[in-house]
Amino acid sequence: MSNKQKIIDIFQQALTYLAASVGAITLFMIIFFVFSNGYKLLDFGLLVNDYHAKFYNGGIEDEISYSNTIRPNNLDDEVFYSQKWGIGLKDDNDREGNPIIIVDFIADDSPLKNIYDKNNEEYEPLLLETGHLLSKISFYDKQTALTKYGAEYMIEALNSSDTFREIVYSSLGGGIRGSIITTFYLIGMTMAIALPIGIFTAIYLNEFAPKNKITSLLRSLIETLTGVPSIIFGLMGLAVFVPLTIQMTEATSANIISGSLTLAVILLPVIIRSTEESLKIVPDSFRSASLALGANHTQTTFKVVLPSAFPGIMTGTLLAVGRVIGESAALIFAIGTAVKDDISIFGKSTTLSVHIWSLMKDEPANIELASTIAVIILMIVLLLNIIVKFISKKLIKDLY
Amino acid sequence: MKNILKIMNLNLYYDEFQALKDINIDIENNKVTALIGPSGCGKSTFLKCLNRMNDLIEICSIFGEIEYKEENIYKPNYDVINLRTKVGMVFQKPNPFPMSIFDNVAYGPRCQGIKEKKRLEEIVISSLKSAALYEEVKDRMKKSALSLSGGQQQRLCIARAIAMEPEVILMDEPTSSLDPIATLRIEELINELKKKYTIIIVTHSMQQAARISDNTAFFLMGELIEFNKTDKIFTTPLQQKTEDYITGRFG
Repeated sequence: MSNKQKIIDIFQQALTYLAASVGAITLFMIIFFVFSNGYKLLDFGLLVNDYHAKFYNGGIEDEISYSNTIRPNNLDDEVFYSQKWGIGLKDDNDREGNPIIIVDFIADDSPLKNIYDKNNEEYEPLLLETGHLLSKISFYDKQTALTKYGAEYMIEALNSSDTFREIVYSSLGGGIRGSIITTFYLIGMTMAIALPIGIFTAIYLNEFAPKNKITSLLRSLIETLTGVPSIIFGLMGLAVFVPLTIQMTEATSANIISGSLTLAVILLPVIIRSTEESLKIVPDSFRSASLALGANHTQTTFKVVLPSAFPGIMTGTLLAVGRVIGESAALIFAIGTAVKDDISIFGKSTTLSVHIWSLMKDEPANIELASTIAVIILMIVLLLNIIVKFISKKLIKDLY
Repeated sequence: MKNILKIMNLNLYYDEFQALKDINIDIENNKVTALIGPSGCGKSTFLKCLNRMNDLIEICSIFGEIEYKEENIYKPNYDVINLRTKVGMVFQKPNPFPMSIFDNVAYGPRCQGIKEKKRLEEIVISSLKSAALYEEVKDRMKKSALSLSGGQQQRLCIARAIAMEPEVILMDEPTSSLDPIATLRIEELINELKKKYTIIIVTHSMQQAARISDNTAFFLMGELIEFNKTDKIFTTPLQQKTEDYITGRFG
């Protein structure tokens, strides 16, 4: 080998390694950034809690039997404890960074277990539990204990009082359960609309359409659509699908159905392209073998070609699902930005990525919670990836 | 009826290029007819005309007549699907479908609307037996056909064609991608099959043509140079070109 050839070889190899490492490092850094910002807030409560905190106004009976429980040993040092009321409180910050007072411990014989709902005519009992946030206790004879005065003052005030006028507490809130449910609704409905249409269009283009100028024009149009910014589709969703769904269903505003329809339109070109690619790589020998056996064109397509292309179609579908999870711009118009806890397909709500968008648009932006949601999105995509890989592997093993 | 296929004045063009020139051949019932000739001489093209597989090539235009059982298969409204069930085909490279062995053989009958499980089983087993493959695969009918060896795959393709109960089997160089032992097995099989079926085989190996065929057609540059009994072709060819080819002076 000549010296010149050697130098060229080394240069090409170096270029390959350089490009690969730049790519890998970039991806790694993104994941590192997201994880390092987001891991602190990552807990199970985030996944299952409501976003909007529920507030309770409690009153207490005239006859109070005070607690006898002494401070348990396993409580943290930073917990302030009142033996009289059998409750331990702690200062903390919520996911948005605001100060909160959290109920760390409540004794079984605590009088605070016997409070009733002041907002309710029937005076139904309320249940104060560990994890609730105490926002206010107002007394008859002294200054109201508020969150901003801290847990220590609240305990002191309780200890020096025999009763109080009102206790206001809330659930933690800030959870993303609603957004997760919306995301899965959206994946399911979008796929239900886009997959059959996309796959059958691809089958038509690749197996049935005459090879002429109109077909190739159609194909280039579809390819062009993949490059249209998704926000344009979002405007289309707002102009077409939102009014359409309001007309035809009980919806009164942007809703999950209009969002799914919009996303389905965005995904169609992607699904058509990837399905066509997987149909193209099915060897022609399968087609001729089938036709030579007296099968007609339709039988050949659906019994031989489509099953052989199935693993490829699955991969394309996975990419499409990734697109659903990641899409935000189009959905801001087509589904709304209201973070909701009670999800209805006829109402506004947010997906995880729109949830990130609404967190980031506030001043100051809540990067930590946004990163936590990003981590969750990454995990969902990873999980889907593993499932699809597993299924395709099993299918390929059965086929080949 | 002695001749199951009659080819009359067959001309075939790929766009401007004439690939077959005025071919006239009568194919005898229950005989093995070998088509020999150098690469690109049109023998595979000719074979594909017989079950109209050339229909799939858009630039291909065909003139002349091919009579199968005294009916022109190129006449308008001729039932091509039915023709292909009667004139089966085995390809150069084994091309089993990526399905189980059973499903491969049952594919053709299923496409014809046979759904009854017992009937399908009968067809599959008898076809595999006819293709001398049954003993090797009877314990793994549900396994993927692609797990078989090349020779087994080719016999599976033959079984798949037999399952349609054809009258003619077209074979396009069926042993060209197989080793000598697998080739021998296929040749034995062809000898067995000709009792029931008319076989037309394209082959590059003149020894193979000599071993298995009753009649041999020699093609050159799209023309049929000579068509005769195999022993005549290989011992006393009438044409100089034939003699040159089989003695290895060109090709």
